[in-house]
Amino acid sequence: MGNIKNIALTLVCIGVLAACSGDDGKDGASGTAGVQGEQGVAGVSNFVTAQDVVNTNAQHAYAAFADSLITAKLLQEKVKELVQNPTEANFTAAKSAWLAAREPYGQTEVYRFREGPIDALTKNTAGEWTLVDGEGPEGAINAWPLAEALIDYTIDMDGNEGRGNAAVYQEGGNIIHDASSFPVITKALLEEKFELDGEEANVTSGYHAIEFLLWGQDLNADLTYTEERDYTAGHRPVTDFYTAATIPADEANGRTCTSGEQGAQDAVCERRAQFLIAAADLLVDDLTNVVNAWKPGSGFHYAEYTKAENVDKSLASMFESMGRLSFGELAGERMSIAVRTNSQEDEHSCFSDNTHRDIWLNAKGVQNHYSGSYTKVDGEALVGASIHDLLVAKGHHELANELRAALETTMATASVIDNTAKLGMSFDVQIQNEQNKQDVYSTIQALVKQTDLIQKAVDALGLEIDDSLKDDTEEDI
Amino acid sequence: MNFLNKYNYIAASIATIILSACGGGSSESSNPATGIPPDTSTPPDPVLDTSNHAFSVTVDDGLPPLLIDKVDSNEHLSADTATTDIQNNDAFSQAIPAIVQLPEWDAVFKAGDHTFRSNHDGEGPLFNNTSCQGCHIKDGRGEVPSSNIEPMMSMLLKVGSSKGSIDPIYGAQLQVFGVIEGKSGPILAKYQGAINEGLSYGEAYTWVEYELQHGEFADGTSYTLRKPIYKVKDLAYGDFNEDVRFSARVTPHVYGSGLIESIPESSILVYADPNDSNNDGISGRAAYTSQPITGVRQLARFGQKAVTGSILQQISGAYRGDMGVTNTIKPEEPCTSLQTACNEQALLENNKHHDGVDLNNVDLAQVEFYNRTLAVPKRRGFNEENNTWNTDVLAGRALFYKANCHSCHVPRHKTGRALGSVLGDVDLLQIKDTKTNINALENLVIYPYTDLLLHDMGGTCEVTRELASGESCSSGELCFYVQRCDGLADGRPEGDATGVEWKTPPLWGIGLVKTVNPKATFLHDGRALTIEEAILWHGGEALAAQKGYINMTKEERSNLQAFLNSL
Repeated sequence: MGNIKNIALTLVCIGVLAACSGDDGKDGASGTAGVQGEQGVAGVSNFVTAQDVVNTNAQHAYAAFADSLITAKLLQEKVKELVQNPTEANFTAAKSAWLAAREPYGQTEVYRFREGPIDALTKNTAGEWTLVDGEGPEGAINAWPLAEALIDYTIDMDGNEGRGNAAVYQEGGNIIHDASSFPVITKALLEEKFELDGEEANVTSGYHAIEFLLWGQDLNADLTYTEERDYTAGHRPVTDFYTAATIPADEANGRTCTSGEQGAQDAVCERRAQFLIAAADLLVDDLTNVVNAWKPGSGFHYAEYTKAENVDKSLASMFESMGRLSFGELAGERMSIAVRTNSQEDEHSCFSDNTHRDIWLNAKGVQNHYSGSYTKVDGEALVGASIHDLLVAKGHHELANELRAALETTMATASVIDNTAKLGMSFDVQIQNEQNKQDVYSTIQALVKQTDLIQKAVDALGLEIDDSLKDDTEEDI
Repeated sequence: MNFLNKYNYIAASIATIILSACGGGSSESSNPATGIPPDTSTPPDPVLDTSNHAFSVTVDDGLPPLLIDKVDSNEHLSADTATTDIQNNDAFSQAIPAIVQLPEWDAVFKAGDHTFRSNHDGEGPLFNNTSCQGCHIKDGRGEVPSSNIEPMMSMLLKVGSSKGSIDPIYGAQLQVFGVIEGKSGPILAKYQGAINEGLSYGEAYTWVEYELQHGEFADGTSYTLRKPIYKVKDLAYGDFNEDVRFSARVTPHVYGSGLIESIPESSILVYADPNDSNNDGISGRAAYTSQPITGVRQLARFGQKAVTGSILQQISGAYRGDMGVTNTIKPEEPCTSLQTACNEQALLENNKHHDGVDLNNVDLAQVEFYNRTLAVPKRRGFNEENNTWNTDVLAGRALFYKANCHSCHVPRHKTGRALGSVLGDVDLLQIKDTKTNINALENLVIYPYTDLLLHDMGGTCEVTRELASGESCSSGELCFYVQRCDGLADGRPEGDATGVEWKTPPLWGIGLVKTVNPKATFLHDGRALTIEEAILWHGGEALAAQKGYINMTKEERSNLQAFLNSL
């Protein structure tokens, strides 16, 4: 009923323009159309409903995860080309494909922290897809820090060879070099070895495993590993993928398979290639499942998420994710710890030095959630019903304006980190420099501020974050 | 990746769950109502039947009496609103739901979690592991090494004398790893290496061997227990004191600690009965310590012998003792004054950038917050749709009370105030002057199954010097130290606890121990492969309860186990 009334009212407004109350500009900037009020209709649409916002959000989830899958498949293709023909050009193409794949994925992370498919998608005993919190593919896709010493050669700060668990690895100390414990490296092996020994630190799959296999350890340009870092990313040579069968015809220096600076047996390069392909294949599989869950129409989670009776819950989950990504994950785990402790290990994409993009893209995802927008990798700009519209429609135009401004401030400060990196000073160096550290702190503070307003928006809309446990207990005690 | 990290991979884990020894002072009791002479003039007072009350003592917490024959309506929520629904191998790593919902708390929790999993600058010169999580595997128990050639990673031997003093050279615990400038990775002990070479080797190599011990249930079924024999060699700094004793400890779980910390002292003391005045064979003695910073005397409720009174006291000691990470609460390096090589290596640590210690207070406070706000998993065996319990769990619950297990493993408590950290409130970047209560921990009805008191668990210990062959010896590299104990005793007094006393450990989450870490075992030193073995090891004040279990039928034993596994 309410909706019908709103539509009728709006039609009248279109007819007589400025005559509608609250929208005629008399109330100035505090009118429902804000500073645009004087134009009467130039403000936001005011008949957006929570259902509209949730539908848009679900459609954009599909768009962003589909983009992630498309770019992951390109990465998979480039990686295969590299392995078949390990030229410098193909090596660069594979690395570019990895960087490109991170662009949409970073913007999907705002779909975490809500028991959605990325965190909870799994199969039940009957083999049907279901959601069980904590059982989803997120860890296998994007966990960090990586246990690189379990995967391939590394060195420590004293220049010694890093090794995985001596009790697990018979030779060479890592999966690639230990052909006796792991005769073939397959998707199944990576799935099985993920979080080996139940240890969260033993991450061996996902974007960051592929990143490590493409870039190698983030040593200095002279291949030393020191507390004072230089501006370079990892330095893995393309020869790490050379095998007798694949050495490029134009190889002028007679180089053969290597493990960094050291020569290595062909088998090691073959196994490294197997690992790389298996990791790319697994990533594509995991993302495919998430995309399917969000598919408009047939996706089981899409249907559930947009159901009329679940709309308030879904809307609340959007806010919860925005708040938790902004504060705990991005400001907290991904930024404050790295900057407070000057720890390269705590930098998200440490091998490729792409952390500035991770930060920017995560923040962008939160802003996208608010503004009901997402720009596809192919350039198509999706714009739909937004939380901003909803707040205005419900009469919270001042809060809407404040939150919009706070999100913009965050993007502006995150852009400083992003641009500084693009100008040559990567995030792991920024956190070592007093002046740049201030930029990082500014972004953290902006994220904290926006989270505050996100909470106010939750209160303003009268949403309750699901808490069944509380409901359970209050009746008794 | 930090070089020390490699040992984390081995992480072993175990957990100590001493299933019970205990007893707090009250047994099930009963004041059967006696008849009241009929009074025709006024309606009779309602006659209260207390025969089904679990305890004769009452705690002033406003709760109705806990009943042995009726399950509380929210008993499936082990920690009230601080319970998590997660039941998989991350079950022990979840934040309390109310913490998750408030982004600024969620952020501090996550930051603390991150530090809990990280290695630290300035670790060593002596240490047992390089991160908190390395021992508290997935926030649960550590484990016993799978072979004698694997160093202890998530368990350790405390060292001292039978009189309760620490070892003058080695201090209170044996750190099996050292740091030596110019050498990579953790360095194991080398016989007299620290003396002869002046280098900071690990203190000693420690391992455990098991001797099988057989017994029989009343129904004739036999069982086998593993009796541990602890051995020590490669003493880097010379011999131990003459009267040396070792106490093996497997890392206990950390979830629920903030709730345990918030139980009012007065509620715990209700169950104390140091002189066994109710003659049930179970005493229950409170231990005390001083709060760091404030110096306030308080009940000691953490540590397997109840030696620390707060999470802050516990973690600051663990940072120093287990990781060699100094902090403002425990600023001294983990070397005794007689350990010259250790002290010299400590001077080379160039990472004392936080007020002269290895760990800054922001990290310490965040880790404290993390430990305080880990949730407890909810029970299994309860159907929330129709509010019913599995019958075996219900039958097991009745047997738990019948065998008097609850006298020490006190099922229910109610939390009181949860004061803000004495360090001050922490956010992502700094510590503030304010100290705000963590209300997500307050006034909750929780089911930890512990009285937090000390109990005599029986047993005696002896230390000998032996060659590998078992032949007696008196000195030299091949002459190991060997400790054998009967029963659960460690023979090493600590804090207020004697060499036969242990603090009742909580049982909540015990049924998920192996889900979280399949290699974990039970009791304080991980000797029990199963919960049943843990029960069978109970002695001293808990001998009657242990006998009760021995006398159960197979079905009863299975029901009791179903109950314990549902916790």
